[in-house]
Amino acid sequence: MKTYMLACLALLLACCYVMPTLADHHEAGEMEMLQFPESYKAMAVSNGGTISGTVTFEGDVPEMKVLEITKDEAVCGLTEKHDESLVVGEGNALKNTIVYLIDISQGKALDKKTKPEIDQKGCKFTPHVQIVPVGVRLTMLNNDRVNHNVHIFSSVNKPVNKQQTKNRKKMQLAGVKKAEGPVQMKCDIHGWMSAWLAYVPHPYFAVTDEMGKFTLEDVPPGTYQLGYWHEACGTNSKEPATVTVEAGGTVTQDFTLSMKKM
Amino acid sequence: MKRLSLFTKCLIIFVGCWVFLRFIVGNVISVPIPGSVVAMYMGLIIIAILVHISVEDSRFREFLRPIHETLIDDNKRLRRRVIAVLIPFALLAYTYSIFAQRANPPGNPRDAHPSPPLELTYKDEVIGKMQEVENPFRHYEKDDPEAFKAHVENGRRVYYQNCFYCHGDDLDGQGHFAPHLQPLPANFQDPGIIPNFQESFLFWRISKGGPGLPAAGTPWDSAMPVWEDMLTKDEIWDVILFLSDYTGYQPRTFGEGH
Amino acid sequence: MIRRYQNTIFLTLLLALASVFSVADAQNAPEASEEGKRVYEKSCAHCHGTEGRGDGSAAENLLPRPRDFTRGLYKIRSTETGQVPTDQDLFDIITEGMPGTSMPGWDTSLSANERWEVVAYIKTFYDGFKENTAPRQIDLSGKIAYAEQSIETGKALYTELGCVECHGNVGRGDGTSAPTLTDEWGFQTWPANLAQGWTFRGGSETEDIFKRFIGGIAGSPMPAFEGDSFLHFGLTSEESKRLTELENKDEMTEAEDEESAAFYEKMDAAVDIALRITEGETLNAADRQSFNNAMKVVYEKSWHLANYVKSLSPEKRPEPAIGNNALRSQYIGGELPTLGDAAWETLKASYFPLVGQVILEPRQFNPTIDSVNVKSFYNDNEVAFLFTWDDRTHTTASEDEETGKMLEDAVAIQFPVKVPQGPTAPKPYFLWGGRLPVYLWYWKASAPEQVTELTAKGISNAEVQAVQSDLQAEGTYTDGQYNLWVKRALKTDDKKDLQLEPEVFVPIAFSAWDGANGDVEAKRVISSWYTFVLEPVPSSRRFIYPPLVALLSVGALFGLRGFARRRNS
Repeated sequence: MKTYMLACLALLLACCYVMPTLADHHEAGEMEMLQFPESYKAMAVSNGGTISGTVTFEGDVPEMKVLEITKDEAVCGLTEKHDESLVVGEGNALKNTIVYLIDISQGKALDKKTKPEIDQKGCKFTPHVQIVPVGVRLTMLNNDRVNHNVHIFSSVNKPVNKQQTKNRKKMQLAGVKKAEGPVQMKCDIHGWMSAWLAYVPHPYFAVTDEMGKFTLEDVPPGTYQLGYWHEACGTNSKEPATVTVEAGGTVTQDFTLSMKKM
Repeated sequence: MKRLSLFTKCLIIFVGCWVFLRFIVGNVISVPIPGSVVAMYMGLIIIAILVHISVEDSRFREFLRPIHETLIDDNKRLRRRVIAVLIPFALLAYTYSIFAQRANPPGNPRDAHPSPPLELTYKDEVIGKMQEVENPFRHYEKDDPEAFKAHVENGRRVYYQNCFYCHGDDLDGQGHFAPHLQPLPANFQDPGIIPNFQESFLFWRISKGGPGLPAAGTPWDSAMPVWEDMLTKDEIWDVILFLSDYTGYQPRTFGEGH
Repeated sequence: MIRRYQNTIFLTLLLALASVFSVADAQNAPEASEEGKRVYEKSCAHCHGTEGRGDGSAAENLLPRPRDFTRGLYKIRSTETGQVPTDQDLFDIITEGMPGTSMPGWDTSLSANERWEVVAYIKTFYDGFKENTAPRQIDLSGKIAYAEQSIETGKALYTELGCVECHGNVGRGDGTSAPTLTDEWGFQTWPANLAQGWTFRGGSETEDIFKRFIGGIAGSPMPAFEGDSFLHFGLTSEESKRLTELENKDEMTEAEDEESAAFYEKMDAAVDIALRITEGETLNAADRQSFNNAMKVVYEKSWHLANYVKSLSPEKRPEPAIGNNALRSQYIGGELPTLGDAAWETLKASYFPLVGQVILEPRQFNPTIDSVNVKSFYNDNEVAFLFTWDDRTHTTASEDEETGKMLEDAVAIQFPVKVPQGPTAPKPYFLWGGRLPVYLWYWKASAPEQVTELTAKGISNAEVQAVQSDLQAEGTYTDGQYNLWVKRALKTDDKKDLQLEPEVFVPIAFSAWDGANGDVEAKRVISSWYTFVLEPVPSSRRFIYPPLVALLSVGALFGLRGFARRRNS
């Protein structure tokens, strides 16, 4: 009887410990976001350094889920489509990871002339992750001759939901005012279409390519926190990497990511 | 002004009474009176008029005079002709409407106060005699207001997870499912509901639902679920506390007469 | 007469009063107060949550989910896209509720004052309300009258703009994208069935519909017709028509290519202006003028489209088939009409509203089938029914991921085995019988030409009848609507069957399953008992007796006059 009660007590205590941690986990949503500096000052960078590296995936690579094409098969169903939330290439190279400087407060100016695009072709957004500087227009291309709608689930900026009818090959979206990310973009008409945006206030953001490689150039010398975000693997906001950049030098910082816990 | 004839007076009383019963009472003062009841009252009024005019011979003659004049006087020709056309037409229309009338489906008579069984049960467990069982948490109202509040809050949760679909956000029987139900869900804001029943009765109606209604009497179509299949005993008692707390009506207690 | 108009008179008075008040103290809610918090916590928090996150205790079983107020995304607004609603918008929604959802109107249970307090309190959940500029309201002044021509124009736009993708060819919410839609919070959401205006959340007047186009339905997949995303923004109606022609060509000549390129250039310029406005730039007069001109076309087109959408639904929800509206099967001599026969068009359908089955587990809290419409004919030997109901999806067999059960669209029509004699005689329990059995016709989408007879003594106690009568059936699914035709002999030899004869009122009830909504077994939509009758042929005596009575009365009047005369002389 006594052991029973002790066991119960232990269980109760355990619960008391576990509950708060569960609650913490619930708050994790905040940690999924990209971190932006409070202010950023543009200046000329003449002797900046470079940060580069490779992001690789660790763990069993799950088979890429084939997306179910539920409509417009003649256009959307021409090629098999896969869920791109985790694209692992040769040598476990992890594509579509955003790598960025968390705490940079001054550096080269944001390139307002850049023309980021997302193509809707074969009922798929390309690229899957796109960096859009604050105040710069994003161009949506429709090469499908079917109706799409561009639905951006912003919460800091105003959400966007615009129909891009089948004959509208090119549609520009207004530049946003505030930094925000990651923000999901979906097409409600084709429920499987998904992409991610980051509206950024400074130019030190990169997205890894097929080889898992990223490069941040013209970084003013100094010590920085280097963060990443990946759709399926989460972020390192809690424990970002620290890198020290020397004038004209190159530092390498690799990351190894694994699936985030559900 | 010319004095009204007795016939006109009687006619005015007759029509006036009908208008009063049919429109004034039904639409202004209270609920509409069934047609058969109006007909019964009107019958009584006709009898009263007949009694009134036939008490004295002279009065009877006075009553008949305008009718008589209309029938034969030369200067009443126009009136005579109008009546000769109106009466047959009215009868034609009335009899046609009777013959062409479509049968209406039977209504749903409903006993508002089904009689409960003698014993209050939850599933198969006997709780006690219907006339004796009290809400086990009711005493907290006086003894421990904090605990009482917790029970009411739990009742609120139970209500809004299960009951409000039909009985409504405001407990007024107008939930979003209600318009589709026959009979309509109970309106707890109606002063005729909660104050009229003991908590044991409410427990019985909630726990056994429509299928638990006595077979005697009428065709029960109540959509009330058998909540003992889905709620615990305590949850039912809690939701009863919530019903009276929200509406401000106290259920009947055993001391009071009905 | 008085009764008929008393509501109108009362409403008019109320409206007059309300308009006086709205001039006096509407538009702006008071400062948030303890009173607002009290009312909110008593009346709203159980769905919308104490912190306004839409996560109250009731929220879990509701679809659409209660609004999360912390994001400032309000569906029903009189303001432009991206704007917060006006105080009046919030007040109106609280007052009138949202048809087709679990949000009731609070006009009877909360005083106007309390409702204003709640408006003020709700606004504290979202910081965007603190901005001092008044939200931009949608300009309704250019309304185009509801007329044939406008509806036709709107119909063409309905296809061009891609409304069909979700709302379907004729608007029953059965578009090919319908099954995969989710809202801002990831919960499933269905496109409106435009043929059921009474379920429109923000009302079904043309103005209401127009506001949904221009302002969008925030948080839902419904896009707003912001100028720059509108079809051929910056072109006149004629230019737009021409461009559509060009765009729809598979091959363009060089001249046509140039022509369309010019159009695109014009559109790009217009879009650039619109984007500059969104980005907060102040425009010069010329740009402002060209923007206004472009928007005028957008507004015109939206009015046409609103008129078209308005034309898709009856003015109001039909009256349920009770009392005088009971289903009456009409007698015809000769063969009964089959499915698709024009004879069905001559009948007015009886409307049977359906409701989620929440009596037994598993329950259906969020039904997707609104009602069944029924018509019927009979002759000396047989009766034929036409059952019609809207279902956004055609599901013949799909496995439920959770339970592994096969989901399928189906319907069951329920009668008692024996017709109760008299109004007080007991009927079987309306949910597939109990102590008394019911007789059922069960039909499923995968076998559209077969109706199975069942006998049931409870929802989980149904069995297929051993002897199946000679029932004929044919079911079709087109544009979000099922039509099921069933024919049976009035009398059968089977004692477990219902036997029909004219003039007898027979209880009738329905169950329906929408496979795509997870309906299976007890989880379904249901009705309680209604009645139907094989309407007797009207008696020919109605042409004989009334004239006879009239004639007799004429005779009696003459007799009376003769009698009076004789008495007089």
